[in-house]
Amino acid sequence: MKKFDPIELELFKNVFIAISEEMGAVLGRTALSPNIKERKDYSCSLFNDKGETLAQGSHIPVHLGAMPLSVQAALQAVTFEKGDLVILNDPYRGGTHLPDITCISPVFLGRKLSFFVANRAHHSDVGGMTPGSMPLATELFQEGLIIPPLKLYSRGRMNKDVFDLILSNVRTPDERRGDLLAQFAANEIGRARLEEALTRFGAGKVRLYSGLVQDYTEKFLRETIRTIPDGVYAFEDFLDNDGISARSIKIAVRVTIRGDEAVVDFSSSSSQTEGGVNANFAITCSAVLYVFRSLVEEDIPFNTGLMRPVEIVAPKGSIVNAEFPAACAGGNVETSQRIVDVLLGALAKAIPDRIPAASQGTMNNIAFGGYDPWRKRHFAYYETIGGGMGAGSRAAGLDSVHTHMTNSLNTPLEALENYLPIRIRRYGLRKGSGGKGLHRGGEGIIREYEFRVPAALTIMSERRRFAPYGACGGGPGAKGKNTLISRGRTKALGSKVNVKLRPGDVLRIETPGGGGYGRPKR
Amino acid sequence: MERRHRPSTTRIGIDTGGTFTDFVIWKHGRLFNRKVLSTPQDPSLAIFEGVGEFLQTGPPVFIIHGTTVATNALLQRKGGRVALITTAGFEDILAIGRQTRRELYSLQPEERFELIPSGRRFGIRERTLASGQVERRVSRSELRKVIARIRKSGAEAVAVCLLHSYANPKNEDVVAEELARAGLLASISSRLLPEHREFERMSTTATNAYLMPVMDRYLRELDRRLGQAELRIMQSNEGYISPARARLEPIKTSLSGPAGGAVGARVLARAAGIPNIISFDMGGTSTDVSLIEGRIRRTHEARIGDFPIRLPIIDIHSVGAGGGSIAYTDRGGSLRVGPQSAGADPGPACYGKGDLPTVTDANLCLGRMDPEFFLGGRMRIHPDRSRAAVGRLARRIGKSARETALGIVAIANANMEKAIRVISIERGFDPRAFALFSFGGAGGMHAVEMAAHLGMPTIIVPRNAGVLSAFGLLMSDSVKDYTKSLMKPDSQVTLTGLDAEFRSLEEASFRDMKEDGFAAKDVVLERSLDCRYLGQSYEIDVPYRKARTAARAFLTSFHSRHQKLYSYHHDLRPVEIVNLRVKAIAVTPKIPLVKEPGQKTLDPKALIRKQPIFYGKAAAEGMVIDRSRLTPDNAIRGPALVIDPESTTFLPPGYAARVDGYSNLIIRKAGPR
Repeated sequence: MKKFDPIELELFKNVFIAISEEMGAVLGRTALSPNIKERKDYSCSLFNDKGETLAQGSHIPVHLGAMPLSVQAALQAVTFEKGDLVILNDPYRGGTHLPDITCISPVFLGRKLSFFVANRAHHSDVGGMTPGSMPLATELFQEGLIIPPLKLYSRGRMNKDVFDLILSNVRTPDERRGDLLAQFAANEIGRARLEEALTRFGAGKVRLYSGLVQDYTEKFLRETIRTIPDGVYAFEDFLDNDGISARSIKIAVRVTIRGDEAVVDFSSSSSQTEGGVNANFAITCSAVLYVFRSLVEEDIPFNTGLMRPVEIVAPKGSIVNAEFPAACAGGNVETSQRIVDVLLGALAKAIPDRIPAASQGTMNNIAFGGYDPWRKRHFAYYETIGGGMGAGSRAAGLDSVHTHMTNSLNTPLEALENYLPIRIRRYGLRKGSGGKGLHRGGEGIIREYEFRVPAALTIMSERRRFAPYGACGGGPGAKGKNTLISRGRTKALGSKVNVKLRPGDVLRIETPGGGGYGRPKR
Repeated sequence: MERRHRPSTTRIGIDTGGTFTDFVIWKHGRLFNRKVLSTPQDPSLAIFEGVGEFLQTGPPVFIIHGTTVATNALLQRKGGRVALITTAGFEDILAIGRQTRRELYSLQPEERFELIPSGRRFGIRERTLASGQVERRVSRSELRKVIARIRKSGAEAVAVCLLHSYANPKNEDVVAEELARAGLLASISSRLLPEHREFERMSTTATNAYLMPVMDRYLRELDRRLGQAELRIMQSNEGYISPARARLEPIKTSLSGPAGGAVGARVLARAAGIPNIISFDMGGTSTDVSLIEGRIRRTHEARIGDFPIRLPIIDIHSVGAGGGSIAYTDRGGSLRVGPQSAGADPGPACYGKGDLPTVTDANLCLGRMDPEFFLGGRMRIHPDRSRAAVGRLARRIGKSARETALGIVAIANANMEKAIRVISIERGFDPRAFALFSFGGAGGMHAVEMAAHLGMPTIIVPRNAGVLSAFGLLMSDSVKDYTKSLMKPDSQVTLTGLDAEFRSLEEASFRDMKEDGFAAKDVVLERSLDCRYLGQSYEIDVPYRKARTAARAFLTSFHSRHQKLYSYHHDLRPVEIVNLRVKAIAVTPKIPLVKEPGQKTLDPKALIRKQPIFYGKAAAEGMVIDRSRLTPDNAIRGPALVIDPESTTFLPPGYAARVDGYSNLIIRKAGPR
């Protein structure tokens, strides 16, 4: 780490974090759709001119490692000018999966491009085969509108043609318009604040400390890795299937710890699949960084400094580094969770007292849509459901929460029933689903939806076949279950299904419990 | 009629604090203060000590009380044993919360507090739909069985929250009736918070039930001690209520004391002719800020400890930065200040017990405090220990002691400035249009520098900053809030329809105010609507005016407020009216604030001494001024310290303070001499 002033370092850390948080406050408050506004499924960050992250508002971990790749993709694709806003969602050019739309704005210092501000938000529909844009597809083109890095605003003026093209390709254009404008507003605030900081402190200092905050974060991670015994630790686990074939998919990792560095090698993992559970490299990066960030106990800025001590090996064409045009809607939400599970499983062999049992390992993505005759409009809705958290060496796992790569809020059912032709019939803890152990795993959730109109439903879920593992002798969490009750008949549904629903149908989702920790006491 | 209407009545504002219980007393046309050590085990003891003498003889007594009973029960998790009745199938909503975890990057499960364990959460088979239509009515026989089980569980109070009860309270009414018949304390969601979002409504209702037994015991004790005196309890919404109402809705008192502080700040700032302020209350471990734009800003999204509270509450933002915040270097070599605090014990290094450098120690090293006059000389402090503590830290980071002390202050300021940005910029206000109103013991040492960073032109430091909350209590009105959930787009409502809805809320307010002894003519009503663009899920509170068109009545102000807060608006987009609100204020005559005549010349005895004060890279000889010797129209130029027993104000070079007719210090950038 270069020479620095400990007082100024602290002041600049504050400045960078405050800006990303203020962007988040604006985005959350101005967005239209419940997914962004209520569930806070978004992240905001600051970058230097090379696209390295300085700080990120703490929102959704799965966005974290992936955002720098977006800025870098944008830098390759366009020439930035003052007042531009570049958007993209193409997973193979800086995105993660299509519903995540990233907006990037340049910050100029005089005529020099100096920084970027960016935010990424999950839109509840970007077209494609099924409402909610989380379809069970076999190629990217079916999953929705693909947006390469392009200018939505050019020199401060909205590019209306682009806007119209986007809105014509989605099911809920009004909502998309509102959300995109909110993303624009968030970047404008970030840009204005960064410009203020440049004026107040001088460009030289801001630039110096934008490098130093990364060194600072790096230092914490290196010291943390040093506390892990040197060695090679391997683990593997499986995804249920890809939604197209019934085959399970292996994710295997070999972690090599040497001194203050780590190599995370996924070479023995399965090849990319036909169905949409493929993760691109950005997602794999995010999942790995999330785990290493979580090993650091102190409160540190999340930035590119975290990537320096960790090398990730992910062969091209594998499930953890899929290539165009593989379908990938579930890579972000499901595969990312399994990557975390295997990496934690490997590290548990080195530091068992610091690593918990597996959490629910899925986001239980539910998307549905149709026509609402009472409100006379089409609807599209997407939500995820929490489950059990894995128990740790010190305490039982939390019940009914989102774990690891996501932390989005639920949508209040009193809000849902006011807008959609559905009723929630049951919403409670799934008692007994947490794994047994010295410390019990967290309980999953039971949620029942009753549909009042015909609707198209897509479920993308995991851990219906392979249970979340226990740790140090603790039992596994209960597997999840998807059930359809139609005209008095109960039918078990798979992990990933498309279903046409009839009025009166009830969908019951039981989410997995977390694994237990330690042998239960007699 | 309330006694406060009668001029002969002795009126007393009482604010229970952690260390002291403050009294501001108005008797025979004279205003005076008193401080008594608090008695946390039974706060009514300190109160009796302070006011006992007025109760025996003399004119009748009217008391407005700011209590910490509810806050402490929440922070220490010492409420009553509560049961819940809700719709069957939804008993776990309290446990599920919003499905989120507090810590994003923690592999170890965090600790959680369970307000009502699953054994005391009871479901009954009933259902109201979003439209308000009752799909299934409550079965009284089922309900009675549940009540019998609740009795067996030993619950002291019952929270009732059924789905969609904000749209139609019928089913909850039946439950309330049966609970009343059974003689159980009950907290009913459709009466406390008739708004949608089941988790927040349920948790607010349950938290209220949790506080009921505690408040009940406290007020009974207080009533016994105060005898004939007429008592009112301050709410978090800046107005007081009767003890009977506080027993039913104790959650409304969760920010009782701070609400008094906000009223006090508003009253003094208005008297000073500067109605737009950001109040800044820096204490030992935390700092509270709030924004007053002529009126106190309120929020519906507060949280106290583990408990989200969705009732109208003054919008106060707290950060863990204060005089006792500890400075240290972290593993990455950055200098950190707080949130760990040395508290009162061991306290800052200068207290003589601890060795860790705090913000107070840094101020002492910089000559920004007077060691001889700490707490009015009541407490001996040790500047040498501050210098040693800061010096040790300085050696660790390779800086001089003075640079380190300046750094500690700068970082503490940055943390507190962040709180001001949250309360202003994030809420759509520009801090540069506000004055910084500093009270609390430590604030005056930081206020001027912080205001400069935020571009705020004026700083106000009131006299008697130490009893501001008690003063505010004395100056408060009775305020009651009423709300009704509507959830309809503007195209589906008519102004006549809205008017009728408002009138029904207003009639309820007149009834309640009458019960408290106010005539309808004393009650001022403010109508407002919570609106949003259809599809949004956050609302904006906009005033509602009587007008011929919806645009005039509220739509135009909604669009412009949305523009101000979020930098865009859509004139053509449907606007949804989520809630109607009525705020009823029973305005009563106030104690007159008397403007005192002044003189330009400074009493020579006001200058205690001169001492070096450090600012930036230089030190300058500055005056230490005894504030009690200042009179209106006196003016002081920085560098200087203005001290009184409760607080110290640091005036950096380039700034000047003027004493106004109410003995406030008004600080601005100094003009040329």
